[in-house]
Amino acid sequence: MSDIIRRDPRSEWIARNRLHPLHASLQALGASWVGPSGLIRKNPHAVAFVGPNGLKRIDRSGAQQGGGGKRASISAAAQLPLHIIEQPSFHIVVVPDMVGGRLSSHDKDLLGLASMLAGSEGAVVAVVFGEHKESAFDTAGVDRLLHIQGEAFVGYTPEQRIMALRAVDDQLAPRHWLFPDSRTGGGELGRRLAAKLGERPATRVWQVADGQCIGRAGAGQQDLARRAPRLILAAAECADPVGETRHEVRAIELEGTLAHSLTRIDNLGAVAVDPALTPMAEAEFILSGGNGVRDWELFHQAAEVLGATEGASRVAVDDGFMPRDRQVGATGTWVTARVYLAVGISGAVQHLQGIATCDKVVAINKDPGCDMVKRADLAVIGDSTAILQALIERVSEYRQGDLRDVA
Amino acid sequence: MSHDPLNVITLVSVGAHPVTGRARRAEQDARAVDLGLSLAGKELHLLHAGDPQAEALRAYLGMGLAEMTVLQQPPQADVLPALGNYLRHAGAQLVLTGSQAETGEGSGMLPYLLAEQLDWPLIVGLAEVESVTGGVAQVLQALPRGQRRRLQVRLPFVASVDNAAPEARQSAFGPARRGQLQQQEVAVVEDALLEEAQLQPARPRPKRLKVIKAKTGAERMKAATAKASAGGQVLTDMTPEQGAEAIFALLRGEDVLR
Amino acid sequence: MLDTLLPILIFCALAVMMLGAWRRVSLWRQGRPSPVPLMRGLAAMPRRYLVDLHQVVERDRYMSRTHVATAGGFVLAALLAIIVHGFGLHHRLLGFALLGATVLMFIGALFVARRRRNPPARLSKGPWNRLPKSLLMFSVSFFVVTLPVAGVLPADAGGWVLALLLAVGVAWGVAEMFLGMTWGGPMKHAFAGALHLAWHRRAERFSTRVGGSGRSTGLKALNLDDPEAPLGVEKPTDFTWNQLLGFDACVQCGKCEAACPAFAAGQPLNPKKLIQDMVIGLAGGNDASFAGSPYPGVPLGEHSGGPHQPIVNQQGKGLVGADTLWSCTTCRACVEECPMMIEHVDAIVDMRRHLTLEQGATPNKGADVLDNLIATDNPGGFNPGGRLNWAADLNLPLMSEKRQADVLFWVGDGAFDMRNQRTLRAFVKVLKAAEVDFAVLGLEERDSGDVARRLGDEATFQSLAKRNIASLAQYRFNKIVTCDPHSFHVLKNEYGALGGNYQVLHHSTYMGELIAGGQLNLSQHKGGSVTYHDPCYLGRYNGEYEAPRNVLKAIGIEVKEMERSGFRSRCCGGGGGAPITDIPGKQRIPDMRMEDIKETGAELVAVGCPQCTAMFEGVVEPRPHVKDIAELVADVLIEAPAPVRKTSAASPDVLEVH
Repeated sequence: MSDIIRRDPRSEWIARNRLHPLHASLQALGASWVGPSGLIRKNPHAVAFVGPNGLKRIDRSGAQQGGGGKRASISAAAQLPLHIIEQPSFHIVVVPDMVGGRLSSHDKDLLGLASMLAGSEGAVVAVVFGEHKESAFDTAGVDRLLHIQGEAFVGYTPEQRIMALRAVDDQLAPRHWLFPDSRTGGGELGRRLAAKLGERPATRVWQVADGQCIGRAGAGQQDLARRAPRLILAAAECADPVGETRHEVRAIELEGTLAHSLTRIDNLGAVAVDPALTPMAEAEFILSGGNGVRDWELFHQAAEVLGATEGASRVAVDDGFMPRDRQVGATGTWVTARVYLAVGISGAVQHLQGIATCDKVVAINKDPGCDMVKRADLAVIGDSTAILQALIERVSEYRQGDLRDVA
Repeated sequence: MSHDPLNVITLVSVGAHPVTGRARRAEQDARAVDLGLSLAGKELHLLHAGDPQAEALRAYLGMGLAEMTVLQQPPQADVLPALGNYLRHAGAQLVLTGSQAETGEGSGMLPYLLAEQLDWPLIVGLAEVESVTGGVAQVLQALPRGQRRRLQVRLPFVASVDNAAPEARQSAFGPARRGQLQQQEVAVVEDALLEEAQLQPARPRPKRLKVIKAKTGAERMKAATAKASAGGQVLTDMTPEQGAEAIFALLRGEDVLR
Repeated sequence: MLDTLLPILIFCALAVMMLGAWRRVSLWRQGRPSPVPLMRGLAAMPRRYLVDLHQVVERDRYMSRTHVATAGGFVLAALLAIIVHGFGLHHRLLGFALLGATVLMFIGALFVARRRRNPPARLSKGPWNRLPKSLLMFSVSFFVVTLPVAGVLPADAGGWVLALLLAVGVAWGVAEMFLGMTWGGPMKHAFAGALHLAWHRRAERFSTRVGGSGRSTGLKALNLDDPEAPLGVEKPTDFTWNQLLGFDACVQCGKCEAACPAFAAGQPLNPKKLIQDMVIGLAGGNDASFAGSPYPGVPLGEHSGGPHQPIVNQQGKGLVGADTLWSCTTCRACVEECPMMIEHVDAIVDMRRHLTLEQGATPNKGADVLDNLIATDNPGGFNPGGRLNWAADLNLPLMSEKRQADVLFWVGDGAFDMRNQRTLRAFVKVLKAAEVDFAVLGLEERDSGDVARRLGDEATFQSLAKRNIASLAQYRFNKIVTCDPHSFHVLKNEYGALGGNYQVLHHSTYMGELIAGGQLNLSQHKGGSVTYHDPCYLGRYNGEYEAPRNVLKAIGIEVKEMERSGFRSRCCGGGGGAPITDIPGKQRIPDMRMEDIKETGAELVAVGCPQCTAMFEGVVEPRPHVKDIAELVADVLIEAPAPVRKTSAASPDVLEVH
């Protein structure tokens, strides 16, 4: 944000208007607070400010309070109104994926859908298994949080979780169960529960409105419109996430103890997958080399240090520097990486077609005019060998620093 | 891999090409057949519930199999009871399916319901069977982004296969033409779903616009006037170290450095 | 003594030769039946040899003359020797004739020997290096033996020593020349070659006295209606008997090897070795004794096979590796060069058919491409509804609306390729400028089936072809014009067998006609020097070498010819599905061709094929620019002169006419 001080008439107006819900947050820090006895206290000395000519001024217009403070801090401090459901007449239960212990954007969309279905009467219950790192359940729209912990729920434990969810079903008899229809857990868990409960779910749902839901069917060329069933597996962007309200995230407990059944599937843990062997179409971080790569040894080293899957342009493959199955582009593999780091690739049309769905493209190239640089979100112009070298050093340094922190 | 050939049944369906909608072998089912072939060889048993005249089924036979069993079912039928009955008596140790049909509802529920009906465990997203010893299989499960998880499961079990499984081998014309579709008449159970639901051509989903949840006018103004990010940042005349630092920052920001 | 020995020797040799011939014929007869008129073929054989084959051999004057002398001398000498020494008809005149024949043969053999002193790499060594010695021995022995007959020497001159020496010499010569002919020596080519010419599977390749086309390049259709009919060639005996006979005709001259782009690029293919492998398969054995260049990167002695064993063995070694078959670009350079008129490409596609249709073993992207063709009617898997997107703003007349037109413009799959769309748009501009009455099939068009067929997927080819033929049958048009030589070839030469007979023109030919008819107003090409690359499917497949050059000439371009141009043009590497099967070699075929182009010093290479354009533009810059002939013509097009434009724009009644 720029350092130029600008007047913000709106916040000045809020500062003057004591009935405005955001009025309190715009008062100068420390000017008023709730004292230990519950009374609102004011510091009369903080009300005033020193004007340009050195005199202390009190300005009731709000211009100084509103415009003087850092706007960034004001908006951050702005509190959303709290949505409280004391006695819910029904429950909408959401089982978020919690990828990496946090709500994914898919989860947030789902919670948005849930609070839409809950309206002002129902409560949105989030069921979270195991440890989590999420701190923003309130703004995501969680009224009740059912946190199910225990050894039995760590890692991949679909059978245990279904047992728990059945208990939740008995306890809350939710009006709707919502699962993210994702490959990261929700799709599987939702279907397992549906099979267990004998409920026919709606899957790949992308719209729920007026008791009707629409989901993709078949190979994606058709939609299936039907009455919204009790179990809904919704696609990403099925609804807008909650944004206008805060929710209380009241903790609830599962009544009774869970019976521990014998599991039939044992999790032996994740398998170390060499990123170099990851199929390119699935890789999330690709380091791709082209005609401009001079030192292939260094390139392979860089891929190893960065932990990236290797890719190549057609020319690099033709010249025999890389195997054919590593070719990216319309004539090779279409990739969907989140980050695509293109070294010395000028960006033929076919190649750019192949990386069209990549989120962030970074180019290292010596020609600032080439098409890859135009496509890239970040382009560094210069000698690829030197830049790769520097990048390897920088990342190794970071990795070592990491190790020190751990130690 | 050296173990006795398993008794494997792969369930197959008629697929639809995503661009033209033409009938074809379903992508995931074909991968399931491929996986079955690598486990059971020519002993692999194929099972389809539906129209025994469907030409697209021959594409599975073209992968090198002499015959498949077709439980004759009309298009609107619920095939689950028929499949369940058949499998209960087929003596299979492993039943492979795709994750999702390419035509009809495509809810992906079939493997789950089948496992529930047979009371067998279900492996979702099977990528590879590593070993089978003493009635226990050690398998790899495919996770997003090429990750794998090792699971142990007791035979018999149901496993669904998704697009992370190895690509299916080519289907050849000759064996496809010669193969036999062994037809079996079984009881038909109507599926009630399509009475209340209707299939319609897929509506394109609107791309979600950047939702601007600005609390203040200034933020709204800023969001509205911010340069639409056409073309990215181009760094010229930098030392390699500065360039590397910029890239490093982006990689950190995207959280791809593990 | 010789008088008794010689007849015995000669008749024994002839008898053993006949036995060998019987064995050889029965080997060929293991092949599948092929309907060939036997007697008419034999009757046509001399002409096929003296005219058609000679035209090919004549490209190498040295060899042509050497062969005339040696072969002519030998045939004459052999016949006379049988009469004179076999039947003992010691007539003096015959003696002199025999002497003359042996001298002729001797001279020829000397040249053969000279060629063998420092042979180029393409020639096989081994028994073929022995051949000139045998030829010399035969001619010298019979010369000396015949001297007494001619009365030059007394009958008993030289005594028994000389007689013995001569007997050995004659025995050697007769063994090589007579026995070798049917028992598998180098001379086998004479016996098998003659019959191969007589019973060639493509009789249309040969001219006739009334003048034939002399060209037959379309692949033969498989019978898919009969479920018993084999799908391609799995083992040597799956070839037709006259194909097997054709393999036996090979003289191992290596002209094919020298012309083969895949061999030059270091891919594991050598057409000569492939044919010899088929010969090995015919009788059974391994390739250790092959005396020529091996497949690049594949050592000799590892591969073996038999008449009833699969040629390609996916697990073991087999007779030939699958990569060998998939390296071929079907450019026909080998067939064009072959003096024995052997059909290498037919054999390769036959074997590919088995791999694709029976084994499902099309390598690399092959399976994807075939699946796309089946599901979307184009190899790229694009939505067929987008086939006309390139011309969204061109307002192209559609056949479905016009029902009839003079010219049906066959767009081809280049419609989906952004580079080729420039060519297509340029050609449409030319058509419009010439006010041609044309229309396109639009969404009714499908891939012509070329790639599917070359990849061995005859089923997909026939399915596409039949649907295309059905679309075309709905409309009336005089000719089909296309910018794609592959579609051109398939429509012209391969749809006929499925019931689609059309007059098809390549766009260069058609533009040539328009220019000759004065329908185009052209200025002159400005810019640098230009060379022209002959597409295989236009040139060698269809004999169109002149039209593109005439068009270029008409716009003021003097073509700087490459060393290998015209019928010797080197392939771009884009044909026969080679970019799809993508067998690795030491270098890339388009890079080699680009070197040819650069050697001319031209700044621009004119092409007439979307495949060639794609392959050349894939070569790393700096390199000459690549432009299609249609683009070059469109660049110099002077838009219709003012008065014409005025009438068409100003008077609405003109519009109503259309």
